[in-house]
Amino acid sequence: MAQRRVAVTGAGVVSPLGSTLEDFHRALCDARPGIRLLAPEVARDSGVQVGALIDWKPAPLIDEAAAANLDRATQFALGAAAQALAASGLDVARAPERVGVYWGTGLGGAHTLEAAYKQIYGAHQWRVRPLTVVMAMNNAAGSNVAVRHGLRGPFANYATACSSSAMALGEAMHAIQAGRADAIVAGGSEALLTPATLAAWQALRTLAPADAGNAAASCKPFDKRRNGLVLGEGAAALVLEDYSRAAARGAPILAVLTGYGNSCDAVHMSRPDRDGQVRAMREALAESGVAPRALGYINAHGTATAVGDVVEAEAINAVFGDAAAGIPVSSTKSMHGHLLGGAGALEFTAALLPLMRGWLPPTAFLEQPDPACKLRHVPLRAERVDAPQAVMSNSFAFGGSNVVLIAERA
Amino acid sequence: MDTLARIKDLASKEFSLDAQALDPAAPLDKLGIDSLSFIEFMFKVEEEFGVSVSDEDLKGIRTLGDLERHIAAALSAAGKA
Repeated sequence: MAQRRVAVTGAGVVSPLGSTLEDFHRALCDARPGIRLLAPEVARDSGVQVGALIDWKPAPLIDEAAAANLDRATQFALGAAAQALAASGLDVARAPERVGVYWGTGLGGAHTLEAAYKQIYGAHQWRVRPLTVVMAMNNAAGSNVAVRHGLRGPFANYATACSSSAMALGEAMHAIQAGRADAIVAGGSEALLTPATLAAWQALRTLAPADAGNAAASCKPFDKRRNGLVLGEGAAALVLEDYSRAAARGAPILAVLTGYGNSCDAVHMSRPDRDGQVRAMREALAESGVAPRALGYINAHGTATAVGDVVEAEAINAVFGDAAAGIPVSSTKSMHGHLLGGAGALEFTAALLPLMRGWLPPTAFLEQPDPACKLRHVPLRAERVDAPQAVMSNSFAFGGSNVVLIAERA
Repeated sequence: MDTLARIKDLASKEFSLDAQALDPAAPLDKLGIDSLSFIEFMFKVEEEFGVSVSDEDLKGIRTLGDLERHIAAALSAAGKA
């Protein structure tokens, strides 16, 4: 029996570049950054200067009373999932036990936990909100998506730092291929721009300071002037569906998810490893069967750290050899920042832009490409192209987890 | 505002319900208030009135009317009413 193919039939985003798929894709086309100076009440004394924050209003999707009982990361998840399901036109009620949720997040309910700790250690009040546990737990976002839409099929929640939501997408694809579900809402969310979490990140010395001339240009992947990543927040959700069922019901098919690579460096907690990345890319290519020359775009992990960008460029060149010169690569983190657990799903959604609309999203602010990052860049501005056959999205995480996804034109 | 009115006001905000329509004799689940939501609500009620209801007493609360009686008793014991 032929392998079940997996269609992407809906996408939704809550992002620093806008909170609809349309707005997100348009911002990428316009190279419009969502990175800003952090307000003093957010940064406090952490030393972090910039971030990609969302001007979020839960209403009308979530009423005020309900929002007060949901962590910010969960609210983002609900926003993205509702859009994706609406766009897909999937009638969940027909067979709710055949629709699952596969989610990814790094930290979970960071705002909730911080509020509780602040009360305990700051105000010495040990009585914390009774909902603290269910709001803060790592699976709260995915579980709330399931509850809200009555999705009773398989559920999974991945917490592998920056590859979490990419892993959720890949594992969801396999679950559909294995017949465990007909459709899965897969994605991820993150909301951890709290003073204490920022301080922890600052201590790692991997965050970029504000660009002196233009705070929005603080994240410069692959540029000689790059000096670190910029944290962001948000969510992205995709409806993945058994292709034949999706086609039979006349669903919009945005793309077909065909390749998933997953490897672990097993070398170091934070230093990236070329060989681990190479293995994940090769596995995704092998699973999809896509020839290197059919690949028309790579959304790089590209965090804009000194070491990370070079290692990824080396890995891409190791995998594709001479063909690498012809494969456009960009890091959209230059605009939306690093969504950590939400990054994989958001960047996969960015990688759909060439497939769906024939535009390559750029690496904004890439004025001085680093010769050590020898790639076919998409600098500064989006490029119009014939929709390629296939695209790739890389997500490489602290802890050494590498996930690579490949999607093909519908 | 009397104790029941304050409780109804809090409940209407917490659960997005019409305060006027809240029947103090109605079982909480009939009002759409599940056990977890009620525990979170109790946290706010205790904050509002500055009293605490024991876990044992909490188990006996089935309606907003029950809640009012416990709060009134606690206020009285604390010399606040």
